[in-house]
Order: sequence, then structure tokens, then C-alpha cells
Amino acid sequence: MDDLVDKPGRSVGRSVRQIEAPRKVQGLEIYTPDVKRPGMLHGAILRSPHAHAEIRSIDVSAAAALPGVHAVITGMDLPGVMYVHMSKWSDRYPLARKKVRFFGEEIAAVAADTPQIAAEALRHIKVDYAVLPAVFEPKDALRPGAPLINEGPNPTGIKNVAIEFNRNFADFEEKLAQAAFVIEGDYSNLSATPMCMETNGTVAEYDPQSCDLTLWTSTQAPFFIRKEIAHVLQLPPEKVHVRPVAVGGGFGGKSKICEQEAIASALACKTGRAVRLVLSRYEDMISGKIDYAKTMRVRHAVDKEGNILARSTSILFDNGAYTAFGAVYVAAARQRTNSLYRVQSAHYDCKLVYTNKLPGGQYRGMGAPHIIWAIEDQIDLIADRLGRDRIDYRIQIANRPGDVTPLGWEVTSCELAQCLETVRDRLDWTAKRQDRKPLRGLGVASMIHPSAGVLYEEGNYANVSLEIQEDGRLLLGTMTADAGTGQNTILAQLCAEELGIEPELIDVRHMDTDFAPIDLGSAASRVTFVSGNAARKAAENFRLALHNGLAALKGIEPTDISLEGGMVKLGRLNEKPMHLAEVFKACGNLRAEGYFRTPATRPDADTGYGNYAAAYCFGAQGCEVEVDPNTGKVKILNFVAAQDVGRPINPNALRGQIVGGIMQGVGLALFEEMVFEDGRPVTTSYLDYKVPRFDDMPPIEFVPISSNDPIGPFGAKAAGEPSINATIAAIGNAISDAVGVRMRDMPFTPEKILAALREKEKRARIATRPYSRPKNLHVDAVRRLYPGLVFPLMKKYGPRLAGPEKSAPVPQYSIASDLTHALELLRTDGAKLRAGGTDLHVGMKQGIYAPALVVDISRLPELQTIGEVEGSLRIGAGVKLNRLAADDEVARRLPILRQAISLIATNQVRNMATVGGDLCQQKRCWFFRNGVPCYKNKGASCPCFAVLGDNRHHSIIGAERCNAPCPACLAPVLTALDAVAIIAGPNGARHVSMNEFYKWSGEPAMSSGEILVAIDIPQAAQKRSSSFAKFAMSKGHFAEASVAVSLGVENGVISAARIALGAVSPFPERAKEAEASLVGRQASAEVFAEAARKTVIGALPLSRNDHKIDLVVALSEQALEAASRFAPH
Amino acid sequence: MPELESAPDGDFSVNGNPVDATGHDGRPLVEFLRDVLNLTGTKIGCGNGECGACTVLVDGAAMCSCIVTAGSMRGSDVMTVEGLASDGRLTALQESFMRNGALQCGFCTPGMLMSATELLLRNPNPTRQEIVHFMNGNVCRCTGYAQIVEAIEEAARHG
Repeated sequence: MDDLVDKPGRSVGRSVRQIEAPRKVQGLEIYTPDVKRPGMLHGAILRSPHAHAEIRSIDVSAAAALPGVHAVITGMDLPGVMYVHMSKWSDRYPLARKKVRFFGEEIAAVAADTPQIAAEALRHIKVDYAVLPAVFEPKDALRPGAPLINEGPNPTGIKNVAIEFNRNFADFEEKLAQAAFVIEGDYSNLSATPMCMETNGTVAEYDPQSCDLTLWTSTQAPFFIRKEIAHVLQLPPEKVHVRPVAVGGGFGGKSKICEQEAIASALACKTGRAVRLVLSRYEDMISGKIDYAKTMRVRHAVDKEGNILARSTSILFDNGAYTAFGAVYVAAARQRTNSLYRVQSAHYDCKLVYTNKLPGGQYRGMGAPHIIWAIEDQIDLIADRLGRDRIDYRIQIANRPGDVTPLGWEVTSCELAQCLETVRDRLDWTAKRQDRKPLRGLGVASMIHPSAGVLYEEGNYANVSLEIQEDGRLLLGTMTADAGTGQNTILAQLCAEELGIEPELIDVRHMDTDFAPIDLGSAASRVTFVSGNAARKAAENFRLALHNGLAALKGIEPTDISLEGGMVKLGRLNEKPMHLAEVFKACGNLRAEGYFRTPATRPDADTGYGNYAAAYCFGAQGCEVEVDPNTGKVKILNFVAAQDVGRPINPNALRGQIVGGIMQGVGLALFEEMVFEDGRPVTTSYLDYKVPRFDDMPPIEFVPISSNDPIGPFGAKAAGEPSINATIAAIGNAISDAVGVRMRDMPFTPEKILAALREKEKRARIATRPYSRPKNLHVDAVRRLYPGLVFPLMKKYGPRLAGPEKSAPVPQYSIASDLTHALELLRTDGAKLRAGGTDLHVGMKQGIYAPALVVDISRLPELQTIGEVEGSLRIGAGVKLNRLAADDEVARRLPILRQAISLIATNQVRNMATVGGDLCQQKRCWFFRNGVPCYKNKGASCPCFAVLGDNRHHSIIGAERCNAPCPACLAPVLTALDAVAIIAGPNGARHVSMNEFYKWSGEPAMSSGEILVAIDIPQAAQKRSSSFAKFAMSKGHFAEASVAVSLGVENGVISAARIALGAVSPFPERAKEAEASLVGRQASAEVFAEAARKTVIGALPLSRNDHKIDLVVALSEQALEAASRFAPH
Repeated sequence: MPELESAPDGDFSVNGNPVDATGHDGRPLVEFLRDVLNLTGTKIGCGNGECGACTVLVDGAAMCSCIVTAGSMRGSDVMTVEGLASDGRLTALQESFMRNGALQCGFCTPGMLMSATELLLRNPNPTRQEIVHFMNGNVCRCTGYAQIVEAIEEAARHG
């Protein structure tokens, strides 16, 4: 097969450039938000503020009456038809009718002349709700007294259970009884989200004369869009047209209809116009379907040779409020549970349980990454029990060609053993296993995945068209949608290979439901295999059409005609070869279609038994990790992936798919999780829902393994999707290996790892003596009353006592010319300063700022100074962080500033954000930023949600009513440097020490008419030696904890000490006892360690943030030592 | 009384062309670029300055155009992805992104290119570590970053 690789003139095996690349690098590619249509209106969606409520009435009259509003629709304006989804579980309308079942559910929609008018119209829709009790966890939804969440068609007949399945495959009970030993365990994963760079969005246009509805939409599956839109709007399918557009990522999240597609279409039909409806990131995060949260119980029964006699898997799936494609997901999970490794029998039972949360949906791997993690955790334990090397044992039990799994999968091409051997070699596994290093761990895992295994009948066949165009180029038509995987290029390569022409001669028109023959779309790992085979067939048929057409024209035999290098040779005629453009002229646009149907039997609909796919993908991944014992942070040192891809079609694109899948797996393993408060997602941004960035990725070595599949096009199998399947398991096993505790709750966050280490090493908790602060007696007493009394009362009655909602008009904007002008502008009611804008504009979208006037002070000359004033270093409040960091004189005097700034945010933010803005920014608490009706959002009558909610990021010291910590990194730094803030106001300037700059609650102690002008750092502090240490989820993220230290050292003796803590208290907390313990002592590691433990005296952590105590102590020690290293001795 | 109207002389340049931003001072720069100037190459990924998809260069410095206002651009030179190529000639970075498979869905690509452009302006021979640190403000969900880093390295070598 190697004769095909990288040979000039051949196509398969060549890293052909992505067809769309030139347009993409020039910003010319058109995505849905870039589509502009004549007379286009802008849509907006009204969403439920309740997790479960009856809709008593909706009054849209005021909204409809607003000038510029063209349509307002509610669920009652639509035909009253539910999405098809999997018809047996059809349970959702495009807009809610009578009831809402999750926070963020779509209730009504508006089309208006501008986005601003549309948003304003939403505020004029009055909905009368009767709030119903809600449940958020499957186990609660299964309780007898639980409220009924979704009446639905309910095929199980069990309340709140959409699907129930329970079955044995191949003599399970018998095999179980023969076991030499059984390994079992419980596992859980939280819900995650694809977080495509492009949010969901649609432009829909309706022509009232022809009754045609046309869509440009960010989807992977135009097939489903047409089918569902035609159904829910009761239009003839042939009147619904999906047009090509670039798609900014999918990963399964766009492989079915998304709600804005139906809603934009309904608005277009109602107005007879084009309507653009593109979701904001926030909307995308609260309404886009998420990967299902699961609790899993897995058991392995093993004989003494290590054969796996039986595997049992029980899974409870959190369905959210609607079933969508839950049936497919549950079935896909079933496939994974018994097929990886040679398993002789299997049991699978599951429940898909409704909760009042946003619905689950497809995501890359369809549950495999989590299920394989649970399985692979136990494979490690089995190998250990058998006294076998963990890779050797896996090679023993690896699937091999000819195997039939308990579920009926017939394995054909399979190089799993070779993949495992490759990982062993490339990872230097054997040597590393023998030379173990503390806190380092090795992990390995395998995966299996159907190369197109689709329960949907239409997924198992495909059609592709190929035709000649006027300029002689070929045009391939496919109804799949390239969401960035490079599949358009791959399909062109397969055709080109078949025809023996350059792939660059082929254009591809994807997504177009009118132009291309039917194809289910880009889902279920099917395009390369199923559509790819169809493309190959299309090329074959095209060649036939070409031959026949020309033979008839020229009066020769078809066999005399050949296509070489894009030219047609006419065998026996001594004519010049014809260019394809001439062929077009002579024969018109010769067109052919290729059809392929997967040659696999369909599984039994009830039992799930059957051979799902014509081929299966296999792979192995391994990595080495190092765990920081003080912070729990995992560093992946290296990562190896070997995957049986059948044959690489495009090595560059393939590697991008594999490395990209691993990256998503790294995110799932280490940080990604949706966090909810009363069913309301609070991880709605890239800050709170953390995905991997450049800095988080280890070096990844990818080794493609060829198995030359007999059915795949030119031997290829699916490759992109399943690259994620083994990643969580490989990382999880490596972490478990490093810490010596099996990790069974995903994601493996630092605080969980720290807790595991603490338990294993029986580390004593660091004493904090909370009541050394008398105030804590009161705080603690209130916290104890929170669950039973304070929280429920304040939550219920607090918002009613609070003032009315802040309205958010479009503010005026004024650019101040100088400080006097700025102070004058600030006297306007509702005026708010804007310097760098990095907090203000975000806060305005989140509703925490609603200024009437924005005063732009970004160019005020008075705020830009960096210089010396009476020995002090004066830094203007308007100085941008990157400018301050770049100043060599500042760095010479105070290297801590450059050091600290390098750890703040991103390059872009440091180019925009100012020193003053860093100090004055609002808290980053995820309850506050997501509009939860809390103390900080609504005032004194409302509770702090961090007391009982997910408070991992919150304060541990000094908090009272509000537990949001101070997010500013410069706050502890400037506090440790005894800096003085210079504040200008209507009555002149005043100087405030950084120790008094913040109020008890953490807000700057400034009035609304004042401007922070500059910061002075006194000479004495410049002579001290200072350092800053920070721990964050990744570089530049807001700190979980930070410590700034400033030491005066004379002849090795500490003469002055400042320690200021960041991100653990509402304001930069001085650790005064620790400071006192240092003064007068000889600088030494022991003295620093002792002082570091004193920094947390008085801490009173919340329910799940005591890891911050360890962080503060570790960071303090680190910063003290670093500071002393620079000190003159 | 403070004046409430925006000043009329809101001029700056975009890709070398002077623009009049009168009446748009308070709008995010990205909206002005996309909706008024029809330069849709700059993408909106989050709208909150967190993902880097909307990155443009302002006087050579990468900024998130979703949270800077048009009004704060006065006197500046703004460069967007459309301004990288001149006379149809792509930059070394654009070429190396294509060659190395440094893009998949392409939605982050304009922002990536702008950040990488600032990096190479400031540091023509960055180490791998410097690239990784510098580019941390740009999120990609497709590639896993490896080929982007390699593309920047290659552009630095050949640029």
C-alpha cells in the first residue's frame, strides 16, 4: 500500500492543503454571522428565568407595538408540532408552550430592524409564571415524590425516565460465576460542552411569493435541518433549502437541529423577510446541548489467566429537560461498554432521567471517553492484581481481527496490539516503569469506535455528485457540512485519486440541499468512510460518463479514452489531448453520482445486538504526568497517540484531527465541567468554563498505524472523532499512578487531587485558628443557619424587597479631553468611567453595569505618567499593563511588577487593561456575573450563593456577607509595596494607602465622582526585595490564590516584611501574624516555612475551598524564598 | 453641564484607510468593522475579550476588538486580517498557516494571525515557549495548537 504515499500526481497520502484555507487566512470566508441579505431583520429570543414553571400567560402587545419590531412569536403562534428527533421520544416544541422545564428555555422571539430594538422588545414581553418545584439530579428525579418534569410520550411508563434498558449479552450470569476475581467501582463525570468557536447561529429567509425558505446555518447536518424545519413549521421539505456557509466548529454540538434554526425560520416566515439569529456566547452556554453527565458502575469478572469473562456496566444519564437524541447516545454508550478488549460476556443497564437542566446532546465520542476511562481504570487494577505489566496485559486482551464482541461486532481490520506496542516504545514505558519517580505517573488506554455506526438508517448510506464545470474544473456536491475537519478536501482527494488527477482541480460545494444528493451529514464518524466511498464511486461513474460521452462524440470505443493529469487522451485518434474545459464545451456538464451503503447488518432495535459498522477504529494513547504535591496541579509531560486509521488520506489534516481530539480530551480530563446553581449554568464564559489554551498542551506525538481496511475508501477508516476516546483514561490512569489513589470523579481538578493526596498521606490540615478573628464567630454562626433558615428565607423574599431591575439603555459616550473634563462628565447621573474597557464592556453585557453615560478616559494625559515624584515611583492609573511591564527602569527598581503582570490575563488584555482598571474591576464571582439574585447583585436583602453553592473559587479569609474574592493581581502586589493611591475628586486630590483602598466588601473606597489617578510606590519599598506567586487554572487565568511578599533584609536579618494575599479574601489581605514572625529573624527556609503557615491564621474556608489554605501556604513559602534570593545579604 | 454628544472628529485608520467613526464612538470596534465597514474577517467568539477570535492590531498591539470602543481608537492605526496581504501577496504567516494545517474550522484563524503578527513584530525569533506564552489569549477548539505553533516557527524562520 505504500506505493500510494506521497507520490507526485497521486492524491491519497498527500498533505493536500485545505480547500478553504486561502479564504480563511484572508478573512474572506463567509460564516453565518457574516451573511447579509437584503432587508435582513435581527432576531432575539426570550428565555425562561425559571428552571420549572407553568406559563400562565404571555403578553407580547407592548413588544409588538415598538417601532422597528416586525414580528413577535410565542409557542402558540407555531403549528404545535414537536421536533421529530427520535420520534418515539419526541418531547419538545421549538418554543415552550404552557410550561418551561429549564433555565434558558426559549419562550418567545422577536424580529426587528436592529439587534438593539430586538433586545428592547424582549424587555417588553410580559410572562406570567407559576413557579413549580424543580429537580436537578437524576437520583432526585427518581424519588417517588419528585415533580413530573416532562410528560412527553414517556415510552417507559416510569415517571421522569425517558429510557430504561437492561440486558445481558452472551451468557453473562454463567461467566460471572466462573470468575477468579471481580473488580468493581463507581465513576462519575459532569456535563461538558463542545464550546465551538462559532456559536450557534442562523440566517433564515422566506420568500412569500414562492413560499421558499432558505437557511444559512452553522450546522453539521443540513439533512436534519431540512427534515426538522419542514416538520415543525409544516412546510413541504422541498421548500426548505439549506445553503453552503462556513461552519466554525461542530464536534457533535451542531449535528442535529438547534433551536435557533427553527425560531429564525418561524420569524422569517412570519415577516416574509430574512432574519439573522446568532446566539451570544452566554446564550450558547445556557441553551446549547451538553454532553450528558453520568454516574457509572462498572464491574469486571476475570479468570486467573486474565481473560475477561464478563463486564457489567450500569449508567445513570442526566437527560436534562428534553430527550433530543438521547436514545442514540444511550445506544452508543451501550456499544462502548462491552466491545473494548476481548470480553466474553456483558451486561448493560441504564436509565436516561429527566432533570430541570438544559438538555444533553451529542458530543465527540458519544460518551466513549468517559466509559472507556471507567473501563481502563479497572484494566489497570486487573493487570496489577495479576502481577502483569499494564501494557503487556492490554496487548494480551486486545481485540484482534476475526473477533466477535458480545454485542455482535465483527472485527475486521484491527491493529490495536500494534498501537499499544507503539505507545510502549515511544513513551519509553518499560524503562520508566522500572525507574519510578515520586509524584510522576504513567497511564495508558485503548479505544474502539465504529467507523460510521449510525442508528439512524440514513446515516449508513451516502450520495455524492461530481460534474464538470465550464472552466474544466470538477465540482463535487455533498450534503455533508465541513465544520472544519477538512472533509471537503478529503472527499476531493478520494475523487482525484480515483480519477488520477490533481485534487486541486476539484471544487467542493457542501451543505446545499438543492444541489447535492441526500446525505445525513457530518456526524457519527461517517464522512470519510461512507460519503468517502460514495465520492470514490462518483468518480468512477463520472469517468464512465466521460468515456461514454466522448466515445459517442468521437466515434471511438470508451476504452480508448483515458484521463491523465486533468487532460483527456483519445487513444486511437491522433488528436491533441482535450482539456476538460473543451470536454465541457463538447458534452456539457457531464455529471455522475456515487452511492454507497455500509455493508453491515442493522442491529436489533430492541436488544441492540448486531454488527453496527463495516469497520472499527482502534487506538492507544499514553502519557506521563507530574503532580505538584502542594497545589494538586497536573502537568502532562508528554503524550503519545497511536491510532489504527486504516490508511492516512491527508497526513496533515489527520494529525490535526488527532491532536485536536486529544486537546478536547485534556480539557475534559483536567478542567471542563458545567456548574449549575438551581439549574442555572454559571460556567458561561471562557473564564469560568475553562478549555485548554496553548499553555495547557503537552507535546503530542502521533503515530498513524495502517491496517488497510478492506471496505474503507483506499483502506481508510474514520479517524477524527475517536481520537478523544482514550484521552481521559490515559490521563486519569497516569494521575492515579502518580498519586497512588484511583481518581473516580471527573474532571481531575487540582482540589480533588490535593484532597486525594492529603488523604493518602494522612496530612494534617493546616491549623487556621479561625476564631482568633472574633468576627468569625458571628460569620460561622450565620453560615450554620444558612441551609435551614437564612438562605431559603433570603432567597425567597430578598429579591422582592430589592429594587426594580436595572434597565440597560444604550448609554451615551463621551471622550474626556483632560482630567477636569472627566471629573465634570462624571457628575452626570449614572456616569461610569471607561479606561481599558476590559471590565466595563463585559460587565455591561452581564448586567452588572448599566451606565447612562460612559466617560472614556483612555487617552487622558494625566493618567499616563511613569516617573519619580519625591523619591516615590509614580505610575499613572491609565498606564496599560504591557507598557508598565515593558518599562526597563520600573523593572530595575521593582522587578515584582513585571513578574506579576506577566501572570495577568492574556497579551491582548494586557495591551488594553490599565493599572487602575485592574485595581477597580468588579468581582469575578460566577454567581454575581451570571445574574444570580445574590447579595452583590440585588443588595442586602439577598443571600450570598457561595455559602451553599459551588464555592471553590471563593474567599477563605475575611469575608462576611459576600464571599467573592478580590480578583486583581496588582492589589496584593501594591499592598505589599505600601503603595499609595492618588484619587482626584470634585474637591481636589486625596491620598489613600493601599491598606485602606478597599472597603470591607472589597469595593474601592471611592465615590462615584472620583477618579483613581495614579499609584505612588515609596522609596523604602523600592529598596526592599519583593516577589509574587500565583496559582491559577492556567497561565493568565484569574488567581485561585496569590501572594505578594516584600522583605527588607539587612545582613541576613529580616528588618521589614509585608505579605499580602490575593484572591482568597474580598480585599488584599495582609498576613500580619506571619509578617511579625519574620521581623528580626535570620532569613532561612525554616523561618519562611513557619511564617507561611501563619499566613492562613484566621481563615474560615467554605464547604469546598479549603484547598486554598494549602495554596496560600505553598505560595507564601515560594514567594518568601524568591524574595530573599534577590535580597542583599 | 457636561456635554452628552459624542465629539465629531472620531477619525482613525483601518488597514491604512482613514475612517470616519462619527456616531459610533460607544460601539465595540468589532461591530464597527463588521457592520459599518463590512470587514467581516474579524470574528466574534465570546464578545468578552476572553477567546481572542476578534483580535486586531491597534498601533501594532493586539487587542480584542469586542471590548474596545470605536471611540477609543482615535488617532490609531487599526489593522485587521483583511489588511495582512498586500497586492494579493500573503504574509509569511498566512502562507505557513496554510502549509502546516494550522487551521481547521478557521473561525479563530484571523485572530490567531493577528496575535502572531504582533509576536513576530516584537520578537522575530521566538522560542517555542515564547510562542506558547504569547499566544495564550487565542483559543482554538479544533487543532490542539501544535500545528499553529509550528506554523509560527516556520514563518519566523522564513519570514
